[in-house]
Amino acid sequence: MTEVIELKNVKFTYLGSDEESLFIPEFSIKEGESVLVTGLSGSGKSTFIQCINGIIPHIIDGTFEGDVKIYGKNTREMQVPEISTVVGTLLQDPEKQVINYTVNEEVAFAPENFNIPREDMIKRIDAAISAVGIDHLRDKETIKLSGGELQRVALASVLTMDPKILILDEPTSNIDSEGTNQIFEFLRKEVRKRTLLIVEHKVERVLPFIDRVVVFDKGRILIDDKKENILNDVEMLEKLGIEIPENILLAKKLGLESFDIDGVMQSIHEKNVDLKTLVRDKGNDFSLRASGSVKYVSGFNLSFSLEFKSGTITAIVGKNGSGKSTMFKGMVGWMDDVHTAISNITLETPDQTIKENNIANRGRIVGYLPQSFDLMLINRTVKQELHYSNKVRGTNDMVSEINRIAELFTLNEYMNRDPLMLSQGQRRRVAMAATIAGGPRIIMLDEPTSGQDYYHKKNLGEEIGILKRAGFTIILISHDMRFVFKYADRIIVMDGGNAVADGTPEEIFEKSEVYGLRPPVEFTMRRGILNV
Amino acid sequence: MYDLFDTIISWLVLIFGVGAPLFIIFRAIGIKGFREITVYSKYNTFLYRTNPVIKIIMTITIMMVVTTSIWWIGAILTAAVLSLYITLENGKRKLYIGSLFIISTLVGSIWGYAPFVTFSTLNTVFPHFVPDVIWTWPSYFAVLGYQHTLTLQALEYSFQISFRSTAIMASALILVMTNTPTQILRTLHKFRVPDSIILSLMVAMRTVSFVLQYLDESIKIQMMRGLGSKHSKFLKPIFYFVAALQGLVPTIIHIMRGGKDTGISVDTRGFKATKKRSYVEENSIDHLDYYVLVVIVMLVIMDVTINIMGFGRVIPYN
Repeated sequence: MTEVIELKNVKFTYLGSDEESLFIPEFSIKEGESVLVTGLSGSGKSTFIQCINGIIPHIIDGTFEGDVKIYGKNTREMQVPEISTVVGTLLQDPEKQVINYTVNEEVAFAPENFNIPREDMIKRIDAAISAVGIDHLRDKETIKLSGGELQRVALASVLTMDPKILILDEPTSNIDSEGTNQIFEFLRKEVRKRTLLIVEHKVERVLPFIDRVVVFDKGRILIDDKKENILNDVEMLEKLGIEIPENILLAKKLGLESFDIDGVMQSIHEKNVDLKTLVRDKGNDFSLRASGSVKYVSGFNLSFSLEFKSGTITAIVGKNGSGKSTMFKGMVGWMDDVHTAISNITLETPDQTIKENNIANRGRIVGYLPQSFDLMLINRTVKQELHYSNKVRGTNDMVSEINRIAELFTLNEYMNRDPLMLSQGQRRRVAMAATIAGGPRIIMLDEPTSGQDYYHKKNLGEEIGILKRAGFTIILISHDMRFVFKYADRIIVMDGGNAVADGTPEEIFEKSEVYGLRPPVEFTMRRGILNV
Repeated sequence: MYDLFDTIISWLVLIFGVGAPLFIIFRAIGIKGFREITVYSKYNTFLYRTNPVIKIIMTITIMMVVTTSIWWIGAILTAAVLSLYITLENGKRKLYIGSLFIISTLVGSIWGYAPFVTFSTLNTVFPHFVPDVIWTWPSYFAVLGYQHTLTLQALEYSFQISFRSTAIMASALILVMTNTPTQILRTLHKFRVPDSIILSLMVAMRTVSFVLQYLDESIKIQMMRGLGSKHSKFLKPIFYFVAALQGLVPTIIHIMRGGKDTGISVDTRGFKATKKRSYVEENSIDHLDYYVLVVIVMLVIMDVTINIMGFGRVIPYN
């Protein structure tokens, strides 16, 4: 097979930085190969793909050395539009990529730029739309689409150029499980038709259809091996903090040659290996009873009655549009717009009952951390951020409590720093600490795992674990079933505006097909062993 | 010493000038309402079917007419353009929000201008000017640039000049509400506006919706954390305003963090790859556009006629 991507002595240093962000002595990819590129955030993955799609050196400033060749042609001698006819790039966040108002306009964006005649353009658009299965969305407005739908629109727009090489930079990080399944289904079909470079943290989902794994660390390629040989690299991957599916870890531990799930389960059964059972806490006393309804003008109705206990983590799962976020927003009093929806949700704690939609009163009981947690960081220092609630509510008796919270979230060394200038993980810790510092003992997190790599998700899991042990009630929305299985004590499944199932992760995943959920490999293996 | 009553009334009047538009914008319209009149939503009435080029020409013509004719022509045109909102998607609601928006502009403009109008200006504007003083400000208000007295003529003059902008705003909002950013910008491309400017505008127009959504979220988070909870409900609009100001930086930073990805996405899809662009949808002119053109021509004829009749934007004003 021909080598379609070749890198030789490639070095790149970002403008204003002293450190080299990428150094690749030699690397190549053959035509039709499917390569998984992984590594922690900041390990050089994005810099690497930007060297391939020509963004480096043509658009991003810095010192670039060496040669990158695409189908034998040096990217220095090509312009980005020319490269983009061969190399298509799909990025992480669909909201940031889509700039047009309707799906049709967005998919037509690339062919319009290349001045392709209208008839030919229509053929290309039809083919791309059909390839990603979004025919039914053609005339829809892009701002009304779910993340998964929007990501497929972005993908269709890239496919109109019919690129022979397709780069997907964390394409499923910001979308729900249904959208994730659709993207992976598309990729599975594309194998061998195009050369695929997939940057992805969900290693478990990509492994079945890739040929090769490339692992980055500190701007260097640390592992470049065939998929089958990944068992040899498990220790290194673990050391780097990269998410490794449990079947691979166990295959390595049991000395197996393959990490096929059935094989691993068989071996576990034969060797009588005891898989760690995850403990599900039942909680202490009841901390919150939330009940009521939200009636949208558009016709959608949400109705529920749920009880939560302190010292537990509850995950709310379900498809987009099932009412998860509406339920959260209704609970915190954000749905009081008579033109959009009428909200009538009662919050009951052991001490009080709140019926009116007063945001500030509800905020005393429940803390809410939206997906875009940056939006709450309005103060100039972390210290001011933590003291904000008490300052505006006029309760100064929380000073020692706030110091304790700062310690709990290891924020002491950042107290005088601007919260918006911190790293993503640190910002989330500040936002969480600031929410708790306001006094609520019930914390609601809206999709905290979205867009997070394994390292950040692990930290998040540990943080909510600390809060749970401190007696807080944690309620979170997530599409990440591995995270939910690992950290939640209880799962509530939402569908059509109702809570249709409520139980431990084991009870819910047992019937996952009924609820349209994809159980994580950790559950599948434990269940499989019981059934062997 | 100033009379306490005078001081209190003066400050209340001043606060009304600042507070009333804020109250209308943040409480009556709200960020969601503001979003409704600044973004496109799909529908199918004659305004949606009219070519954006024609709508741009109509807005320019309205601008021309209101700036060259007497104030009440501007007022009539404002009412006429606003009445067209009823034909839009969710028309009654849009008419309501649009009217509130225009009222807030009028109140803001009158109160932002009247206290500063000098007697010499009023002398020029009104023949045989005899000031009808309706309020005398405490002398320390001069620090704010206020004239010593507020006259009926100053209010009248400010009211009249406010209508110079309202019809244009109402018309421009129709353009934004009935065309996608892509349609508008395709039109600009035909007017030979550089592609880089077009792209910036296109991203900006799409971002408006996100800015308002995120800002709304940031305001609600601050309210949840207790902002304004110690104070009276009547001061709520002021705290909404404070929350909006405080929320601006995190909102903009949140949006800017994705700016790099937007740039990469656009560049890797061949933006500016060729000098000419082709379009999947044709921007054709049909019968409906000719009818609107007739209305535009009639507006121009009316403008010329009323100027000949002495109702041009001349001084004196009445």
